[in-house]
Amino acid sequence: MNALEEQALAEISLSPSKGFRVTDYLGLLRASSVILLLIVWEVFGRDVNPLFLSYPTAIARACVQLLISGEFQRQALGSLEVYAVGLVSSLVLGIFLGLLMGRYRLAEYLLDPYVYALDATPRVALIPLLLLWFGLGAPAKIAIVFLSGLFPVLMNTFSGVRTVSASLVDIGRVYGAGEAKIFTKIIVPAALPFIMAGVRLAVGRALIGIITAEMFTAVTGMGALLIRYSSAFATDKFFVPVIFLALLGVILSRAVELLQRRLAPWKETEGAL
Amino acid sequence: MAVSLDEQLIQELALRREQRWSLYDHPNLIRAGSVMIFLILWEFYGRRVDPLLLTYPTAVAWAAVQLIWSGELIRQLLVSLGSLAAGFGASLLLGVGLGVAMGRSRLAEAILDPHVNALYATPQVALIPLLMMWFGLGFGVKVVVIFLFVFFPILINTVSGVKNVSASMVEVGRAYLASERQILFKVVFPAAVPFIMAGVRLAVGRGLVGMIVAELFTAITGLGAMLTLYGNLFETARMFVVIIVLGLLGIGLIQATQMLERRMARWKETERAVN
Repeated sequence: MNALEEQALAEISLSPSKGFRVTDYLGLLRASSVILLLIVWEVFGRDVNPLFLSYPTAIARACVQLLISGEFQRQALGSLEVYAVGLVSSLVLGIFLGLLMGRYRLAEYLLDPYVYALDATPRVALIPLLLLWFGLGAPAKIAIVFLSGLFPVLMNTFSGVRTVSASLVDIGRVYGAGEAKIFTKIIVPAALPFIMAGVRLAVGRALIGIITAEMFTAVTGMGALLIRYSSAFATDKFFVPVIFLALLGVILSRAVELLQRRLAPWKETEGAL
Repeated sequence: MAVSLDEQLIQELALRREQRWSLYDHPNLIRAGSVMIFLILWEFYGRRVDPLLLTYPTAVAWAAVQLIWSGELIRQLLVSLGSLAAGFGASLLLGVGLGVAMGRSRLAEAILDPHVNALYATPQVALIPLLMMWFGLGFGVKVVVIFLFVFFPILINTVSGVKNVSASMVEVGRAYLASERQILFKVVFPAAVPFIMAGVRLAVGRGLVGMIVAELFTAITGLGAMLTLYGNLFETARMFVVIIVLGLLGIGLIQATQMLERRMARWKETERAVN
């Protein structure tokens, strides 16, 4: 920097080194925002009637209690089991029907009135009916999780198969690939990014499904704990399943993202090209 | 001569000018057939099953007529729509306002986004029992639940819309001595509208879910309460009427938002055409 530039900078009062700016410490700001909220919550939470609001240290204590008694783990495992069964069956059937509807027009035209109608209906509205049909036990919950997860996967698989370029399929056919080969070597890999996007949606929807279902039946599982603690006005315990469910949601969607990157890495490559 | 040569070639290659009539050219025929067969089978078997568990199409139609005639369906529908509109309106105001603040100011973003992310990650249904404890069973709690369900898609889309406004547009505004207010309302906000509308479209479906869940739980008024009531009374036909109304409501609301999206964010298409 020569003297002239120096002078010019000084004249228009731009200093080369800037002074303290709050926007340089955003990470610090984030952390202090969270800490401040926790402190305020702790201070005011202790003043409020504990029937209505709890405070962070009480929640931490409740968390330790529930974990030691083993109650929480048992209910969480029960929920996860139902969740896994419902989700896996919805993924299997969703991908299967999506492939079928995407590849064969007859299947598409036969099924799409129902698929669109059921997809537009909020699935929570079906919960009372499903409880009527399947009772209050695991089958009803599995059915609700299944229905919550099915449509995102089905719709995404369907549109994924529809976007597979016809020339890829034609080349496969020219080289004498049978229908099975065309499915496994061309259509599924090409539609995989779409399918995985559907899976990611389904994981979140199914989580909401299981919570709602368990809140309704209120017999076992995380949702039942929510209802039990809120009816008992045990606000501190109430927050434990809430935090657990939030963490579960984040972990599951991260896991699917990771899986997506491993299973369909060509998506990124395609974007980069 | 040329014509007949073409004709001959086509015949030799066995290509027909006019394709044979194919069912695949009339997908709606297949769809209609599929639905008709389903309804007939349902009618046939539904009449044999215990009416407490399953109903049949004509019974559903009859229940629909009764519910509309007595005015109950319309009354509860209006109650539901009222809470949906209140919750959605509040969410839209606060979500867009806060979203613009978070998108424009890094300070506001740093302060708010840990909380926003934490609340967004929490499945909002899990908070309903707590909200019922705080707000009771009436109109208020429904509005709050709908607000929570709708708020985050709108907020997050607004933030990314505001951040996506090209800096050169803002600079042009500055160069023409626009005030901060003018930049906000004439540059930033219109540029972010397509994003905001995409958030609104996402939010509509979630708002409907929030409304139903809240009403199912409070079980006093609204369409969700009708579902709980008829479920407890084993009036399956009436339950189906409510479910169908909710499905139609879902389709109608999403179509309406898409139309609004096209009207409000018209330049989005234009922009793409110009590029």
